[in-house]
Amino acid sequence: MTEIHNKQLSRREALLWIGKVGGSAAMLQAAGLFGLFATPVQAQAELVKLKPLTSGPKTVLILGAGISGLVAAYELGKAGYHCKILEASHRAGGRNLTIRHGDFIDELGNPQFCNFDKDPDLYFNAGPARIPAHHTAILHYCREFAVEMQTFCNYNKNCYTQDDNAFAGKPVRIREYEADTRGFFSELMAKSVQAQAKLDAPFDDIDRQKLLEFCRSYGDLSSDFTYEGSDRAGYQSGGILSPGVLKKPRAFADLLQSNFWAGAMHFGELADQAAAVITPVGGMDKIVDAFLSRLAGKVQLKAQVQKVQLLPQGVEVSYWLDGQLQVEQADYCLNCIPAQLMAGIENNFPADYVAVMKALQRGKLSKIALQAKERFWEKDQIYSGISWTNQDITQIWYPSHGLFKAKGILLGAYSWDPAISDRISAMTHQQRIATAITQGAKLHPDYGKYIEQGNSVCWQRMNHMLGCGAVWSEDLLKSSFATLQAPVGAHYMVGDQVSYHPGWQEGAVRSAWYAMESIQQQEHQKQRQVAV
Amino acid sequence: MKDWILYCALFAVLFSATVQAETFHTDAQYCLVCHGSNAQGNEAISAPNLAILPDWYLSSQLQAFQSGWRGHQSTDAYSKEMMAVAQSMSPEDIKRAIGFIRGFQVSKTVEKVAGDVSQGKTLYQTCAACHGAAAEGNQTMGSPPLAGQYSWYLLRQLQAYRSGQRGSAEKDAAGALMKQIALSIKRDQDLTDLVAYITTLDIQKTNLQQTDIKK
Ligand SMILES: Cc1cc2nc3c(=O)[nH]c(=O)nc-3n(C[C@H](O)[C@H](O)[C@H](O)COP(=O)(O)OP(=O)(O)OC[C@H]3O[C@@H](n4cnc5c(N)ncnc54)[C@H](O)[C@@H]3O)c2cc1C
Repeated sequence: MTEIHNKQLSRREALLWIGKVGGSAAMLQAAGLFGLFATPVQAQAELVKLKPLTSGPKTVLILGAGISGLVAAYELGKAGYHCKILEASHRAGGRNLTIRHGDFIDELGNPQFCNFDKDPDLYFNAGPARIPAHHTAILHYCREFAVEMQTFCNYNKNCYTQDDNAFAGKPVRIREYEADTRGFFSELMAKSVQAQAKLDAPFDDIDRQKLLEFCRSYGDLSSDFTYEGSDRAGYQSGGILSPGVLKKPRAFADLLQSNFWAGAMHFGELADQAAAVITPVGGMDKIVDAFLSRLAGKVQLKAQVQKVQLLPQGVEVSYWLDGQLQVEQADYCLNCIPAQLMAGIENNFPADYVAVMKALQRGKLSKIALQAKERFWEKDQIYSGISWTNQDITQIWYPSHGLFKAKGILLGAYSWDPAISDRISAMTHQQRIATAITQGAKLHPDYGKYIEQGNSVCWQRMNHMLGCGAVWSEDLLKSSFATLQAPVGAHYMVGDQVSYHPGWQEGAVRSAWYAMESIQQQEHQKQRQVAV
Repeated sequence: MKDWILYCALFAVLFSATVQAETFHTDAQYCLVCHGSNAQGNEAISAPNLAILPDWYLSSQLQAFQSGWRGHQSTDAYSKEMMAVAQSMSPEDIKRAIGFIRGFQVSKTVEKVAGDVSQGKTLYQTCAACHGAAAEGNQTMGSPPLAGQYSWYLLRQLQAYRSGQRGSAEKDAAGALMKQIALSIKRDQDLTDLVAYITTLDIQKTNLQQTDIKK
């Protein structure tokens, strides 16, 4: 845990770290899987282009009503293919899951119904919650379907950082922590620049004076380049009708004692998390609803796939429906069933293809949401954003919607550390809520007084998912991504698991586009062969 | 810790007033999500082969998970998952699940285990007394069949017995015996050799269906 604090991990290395280490930096690295770590995203601007089908009627079976499956059914349908989605769950959407009053939370061994009040603002996004601007594929559908969007706040300086090992465990406003660390860091830099008559190579062509001015403005230093506190940290008192009194800066050593700088402090800098990110008004599943309203009669729920057989031409799929085995054939099959589950479903796939599915690890993520009878955080000058702690709950999210309403849903825990997720998943729902309250109380005194009820979703325990997403190791990506992405006969694996961006809907959409364009090519080739 | 218990008590009160989820799933297909579409197990989920296990053993293990003999002391997340599922099952669910599993053909995945098979065969002589010469199992001794089970699963169980995570529960007599045996295997290499030998064995055509599963 200590070594990696001192080391910048590449995203690839970060993949390797998952499961090996705990702690906040490791936690953030692991989150790289969810695009949380700065990933060099080659913004792909092109949109899918499917030409109308001209080679006679074609059928497509789509396994799983995840975002990729829904995209496939919608696009292929528009192009003239006959599509049918087989979905094992009682609902469509897969990991795109918004929980509201009365919803069934299908956790293995821990089934529950959501106990939030019935109110359109009282929901939580158990899976995806935010979309960055460069995720142009998923946003393409939001635009096309006129899904109403709002900004989602990932970063709010008025939120807290709390670390049991720093400041006697007391929470500190992020604005104060950041102003002081920046101030001290700039002072240190300025001092070292001043101490040298001339900067050494490779900095020797830098204008020293400009660099000093940069330090001053970056850290809000005084005229002699020392840090004496800043109003960026917030005033101790006054500021409106009386002069503002600055807070006394915290000691740099104390600031470094906290783990905040090692990860969470830079969360808002990450490629996929930097402001502004957006989200559908009323819940992420508004995207699912928009697809479903365009796919009437094409989605078969509670259809659990039991067997997938490649035929000389096309594919045969067997599935359980109402306790009976059904069999259906199609020209093509797009499959977004999580690879770790597909590995256990009977098939006649090539061995190397199945080997990749087996090698993909189950990711672990847990979220706990709490209903507060009063929006106490607003009185504490917090309107949306995230507080961070080094306790298991890791984060507290304050809703970006419903400001000044009577009640609100907090995200009371969200961890990317698999070890934490193991601890949380081993608890009963009640224990999870109790733990979230006890730990949250270190950030907000009287926390428990405001919480009326809660719900939890541990993705590695959710029925038909058994994981939050595919975990590719660096070696596996190198050796086997192409194997899983390529079709075997008329069968394609899709989903964010077949993208370099697992953990983001963008990966799911683009994997479906990739497969559909490949199908189009197959059709094209067949037509050409017939013509010849 | 005190706080925690307090909150639990508080929530027990709060929650009793809210909707409690019934077992939503009446179908036994539930088992197949993890254990594979033919109950043959799934390495990617770390779920063992159930199809090779006789009714009496499935029943006894579901009860073991329900009562926390299995899973409770365990540090591995997999047995905790199974414990949660077992604890959500009613006696009818258990019966239905076992009946459903019996409907699948027994199958075995061919595995290559790096171990000394002949050394493993020698070591297996001790095991044969309870598990049978062909690792076909023995209900009277409470010993499950081993032939056809995955090597990684067998290995993990042997390690669990050795560390006392399995076989330490008061009422688990068969487990206590197995724990003693596992403790007598000192070297890790012996475990690997043993498992390598067991995976070479064919599944025996024994009657997996038993009427007296209540026993
Ligand atoms: C906690 C969390 C946070 C996330 N945050 C974000 C975010 O902020 N932004 C973002 O864009 N993305 C986020 N993601 C990722 C996003 O949820 C996924 O990328 C996307 O939803 C995956 O879609 P998919 O098409 O791959 O299919 P999935 O959603 O994986 O769907 C697979 C489907 O297959 C079904 N299935 C399983 N077994 C069978 C069977 N035997 N037969 C038939 N069907 C079966 C399942 O029920 C499911 O519906 C997050 C995910 C999680 C878990």
